[in-house]
Amino acid sequence: MKRTVIFFLILKSTLYSQEVFIKKTSDSLSSQQLEEVVISATRTERQLSSLPLPVTLISKSQIVRSGNIRLNEVLNEQTGIIMTPDATIGSSDGVQIQGIASDYILVLIDGVPVIGRSSGNLDLSRFAIGNIKQVEVVKGPSSSLFGSEALGGVINIITEKPKSDKISGQASHRYATFNGQNTNVSINQKINNIGYSLFIDRLSTDGYDLTPEQEGQTINPSYNYTFNGRFFFDISKKLKAFTSGRYFFQEFDVSPNTSEEKDLNAHLRFDHNPTKKIALQYELYYTNYITDEQTLDSISDEILFENDFNQRLLRPEIRFNYNVRTNNTITFGGGYNFESLKRTLFADNVTFDSQYIFGQYDFKPFEKLNIIAGARFDNHSVYNSQLSPKISFKYDFTSNISIKASVGSGFKAPDFRQLYLDFTNALGGGYTVFGKEVEAAGIQRLIDNDEVNESQLRVDISELGEPLDAESSIGYNLGFVYKKGKTKVDINFFRNDFKSLIDTRILAPKTNGQNVFGYINRNEIYTQGLEVDLKHEPFQNLSLSAGYQLLYAYDKEVKEEIKNGKFARDPLTGQDIRLSQSDYFGLENRSRHTANFKVFYTIPKWNANANLRLVYRSRFGLTDFNGNGFLDTFDNSFIKGFALVNLALSKTFYTHYKFQVGANNLFDYKGTSPFSNEQTGRILVNPGLQLFARFNYQF
Amino acid sequence: MKKLSFLFFTLTLTFISCSDDDDNAPVLPPAIESKQITNIFAPQIGGPGSGQDASGEFTKFDFKTGEVTTSDTDWDIAFRATAIAINGGVVTGSADEPIRNGNAGAAIVENTFASVNSADGLTFNQDADGAFAIPTGSDNGWYNYNFMTNVVSPIPGTVLVFRTRDGRYAKVQIASYYKDAPTTPNGSTDESRYYTFNYVYNPNEGDKNL
Repeated sequence: MKRTVIFFLILKSTLYSQEVFIKKTSDSLSSQQLEEVVISATRTERQLSSLPLPVTLISKSQIVRSGNIRLNEVLNEQTGIIMTPDATIGSSDGVQIQGIASDYILVLIDGVPVIGRSSGNLDLSRFAIGNIKQVEVVKGPSSSLFGSEALGGVINIITEKPKSDKISGQASHRYATFNGQNTNVSINQKINNIGYSLFIDRLSTDGYDLTPEQEGQTINPSYNYTFNGRFFFDISKKLKAFTSGRYFFQEFDVSPNTSEEKDLNAHLRFDHNPTKKIALQYELYYTNYITDEQTLDSISDEILFENDFNQRLLRPEIRFNYNVRTNNTITFGGGYNFESLKRTLFADNVTFDSQYIFGQYDFKPFEKLNIIAGARFDNHSVYNSQLSPKISFKYDFTSNISIKASVGSGFKAPDFRQLYLDFTNALGGGYTVFGKEVEAAGIQRLIDNDEVNESQLRVDISELGEPLDAESSIGYNLGFVYKKGKTKVDINFFRNDFKSLIDTRILAPKTNGQNVFGYINRNEIYTQGLEVDLKHEPFQNLSLSAGYQLLYAYDKEVKEEIKNGKFARDPLTGQDIRLSQSDYFGLENRSRHTANFKVFYTIPKWNANANLRLVYRSRFGLTDFNGNGFLDTFDNSFIKGFALVNLALSKTFYTHYKFQVGANNLFDYKGTSPFSNEQTGRILVNPGLQLFARFNYQF
Repeated sequence: MKKLSFLFFTLTLTFISCSDDDDNAPVLPPAIESKQITNIFAPQIGGPGSGQDASGEFTKFDFKTGEVTTSDTDWDIAFRATAIAINGGVVTGSADEPIRNGNAGAAIVENTFASVNSADGLTFNQDADGAFAIPTGSDNGWYNYNFMTNVVSPIPGTVLVFRTRDGRYAKVQIASYYKDAPTTPNGSTDESRYYTFNYVYNPNEGDKNL
C-alpha cells in the first residue's frame, strides 16, 4: 500500500520535474516536498520531511540550473559540506561533512559503494552528474546500515529511471574557461516492461596553474570518459530486474610520464515483492578501480618510478523489508565483501573477507512519534569485528514544529595500506613504513640487514603485529524543524567523537638517520557545532535559501599535551612561547564559519531562469609550520576567509533547446596560499573566474 | 664565510681597576655568554634518498671560542645534516664521524629558552654505539619534518642543554635549519643544512647556571 503510494509520488514527481525544466516552473515548497523521497537514510523510500535524521537532498533541477557538471561542485554549495583542498594545494579536493574528513565519508552510486581512494581521499570530480535524479547526503554516522567508512555521513548518487515509452534524452555541450570541454548524451526509454538508459560523458581540460611565477602547471591537462548503461526488466509484477554498468577512464597529459585512472562498476539487482507486505532485494555488485603511473627519465626513457594500484570489490547482498502495518517496517539484510588489492608498494596481492548482517525497525508508537532503531554486525578476516547500533526519533509537536534526535556509531576498517604497506622511500628520504600485518617481519628484516639496531626499538618486539582496531565514532544529532507555508527552518546541533584513529608512530630509528614508521590506534578527535538551513519563497518564482555551519574540531590528545606544556615559536621574535588552550586553532582545513546563500529566480514568460549562489568559508589552516605538530595561532599557514559567488542564467528556446551561460567565482577570487614566498612567488588558492556556456537539446 | 653576530649582550659590570684597589678588587668570574651563531653549514654526502649511507665530515663547534673549528680535540658539538654529535661517549658507527675524546653530554629540556636557567638535576646522555645522544629522526630530537611542506622545523620549546667536553654548561635553541633563517622556509627552494642557533654558555667549570 505504502509502496504504491510512493511509486505514484515518484512517477508524479518525475513527470512534474520534466515539466519544470522545459516550461513552467513553480518550485513551491509544497510541491517540492512531494518530490522529496529519499532512500539512503533507511534503505526504504521515505519522504525527506518525515525523517528523523539530518539529510540533505540535492535535486536534479538545482544541479541543472546551477550548471554544475561534477559531484564535487554541487556538494560544495550545500550547508555544512565543504570541498577542502589538500595541504599540498593542487591535488584533488576532499569532501568534509560536519568537520569530518573525506576518509570517513562513504560514497555510493544507487546504494552501492565506490572504491579507489588515494591516501584515504576519494576524488569526487570523478563522478559526472548528467544522468542523475538526485544526490542524497545523510549526515552523521550511518554504519548501522552501510558498515565501514560511514562515520561522517553517506553520499548517495541516485540515477534517473526511464519513464516514457518514447525515446527521450538530451545532448549537451559545455565550454568553459581553461578549455574545459564537456559533452554528454543520454537516452532513456521504457517500453512496457523493459527500460533502458544510456549515458556518455566526455570532459577535457587544459588544467590550470596556481603558481604563475613558476615553471610547470598545477593541474595537468586531462580528459576523461564516463559510460553508463542501465537496463530495467519487469519480469513479472512481483519481480523486477535492474542492471547497471559504469566505466570511467581518465588520463592526464604528463608526457613523457603516464598517469591513468579506470573505474568500473557492475551492479545487478532483483526487486522481489512476493506479497504486498514483503519486499526483497537481491543484489550483486562488482567494482574495480585501477591507477597506473609511470615516471620516466626524460632522456633515456628509463622507468624511474612506477605506481600501480588495482583494487576490486565483489559484494552479494540480500535485503528484506517487512511492512508490518502502515508506518511500521522491519528491515533485515546481510552480505559478503570480497576485496583484493594489488599494488606496486605491496609485496603480495592482499585480500580481505568480511560478512555482515543488519536489522532495523522503523515504527510509530503513536501518531506524532517515529522511532528508527537499527544495528549492524561486521565480521572481518583481519581486524576486530564491529557492532554498530543507531537509534533516532522524530516527534511532531504540531504540524509545523518537530524535534529530531539521533545517536549512532560509525567505523572505518583499517585500509590495505595500514595493514600491508611495505615501503621504503628511496627517493624522498629513506624512511620506511610498515603496515600492521607486515611490521614484525619487516622490522626483523631491517635488523638482519643492520638497518635497524635492535637495542634502539621504540616498542616492545612482542607488541609488533598486534591487530589494529577499526577507527570508530559516535555521533549525536539534535535538530529542530519549523515549516509553515513557504518558509522552512532547520537547525541541527551535532557532536562526533572519534576514537582509535589510526596514526603513524616511530617503531625504530634507522641507522641512516631516518625512522621506521608503523601504524597504531591512537588519536581521538571531536567535531561539534551547529547547522542552520533557511528556505523561503517570498513569491512564486523566487526561492531563497541560506545556510550556516559553526564548527569546532579538535584533537583531544593535542589539547591534553597543551595542558601539560606545549610551545610555539613566534615568527616575529623567534622566541618560544608556552601555549594556552586558546592558542590551539584546531584541526587542519576546518573553518569555524561556513555559509551559503542562494537565489533561484524563474521568469516563466521568457522561459528563463537565473540563479546566484554564494559560498563562504572563514579562515582555515593548512598545516603546522612551526614544528610542534599541530595548528596554533602562531603558525602562519592560514588561508584567509573568502567567498565565491557563482552565477548561472538559462533560457529555453522552441521547447527543446536550452542555452545557459554562467560564471563560477564571479569576482575572480584568487587568494594567496601561505606556502607562497620569495622563491615561489605568489601561490594561488583558486585559479579565479571561470566562465561557461552550455547548449542543450532535449528530445 | 661564517658570521658572528651578537644578539644579546649580557650586561656585565666592568670595573675599571685603579692601582690602589688592586689588592681588594674581587676577582670576577668570566661572564655568561649569550650569542647567536648563524649559517653553520653542515653538509653531508649520501644519506637518505641517495641510496648510500651518510658520510662526510661533521662541522664542529667549540663553545669556548664560540666558533667553528677543525680541531680533533677542542670541540663540543658537531653537525652533519640533521645529526648532532657531541664530544662525549663513542662513535655511533656512521662513516667519517669525529673521534670522541671529551666528556660532553646532552640533555633535552622542554621549556622556553629563557626558562631553562640551570643544568641542575638533568641527566646527560652521551653518544653511544648506534645512537646519538640527541636522537635523530623527525620528532625524536630537535626537529620535526613535515612531509607536506618538506620542511625541517626545530621543535618549539626544545632546549638542548650541553655539558661541554671539559665540564662547562651551555644551552642551545636551534632557530633554523635553512640558510639565512627565513621565517617560513620553503622545503624545495631554500638551502638546508645551515644551522642558526642561539646559545648561552657558562665558561665557569662546574657552574650549572645558565
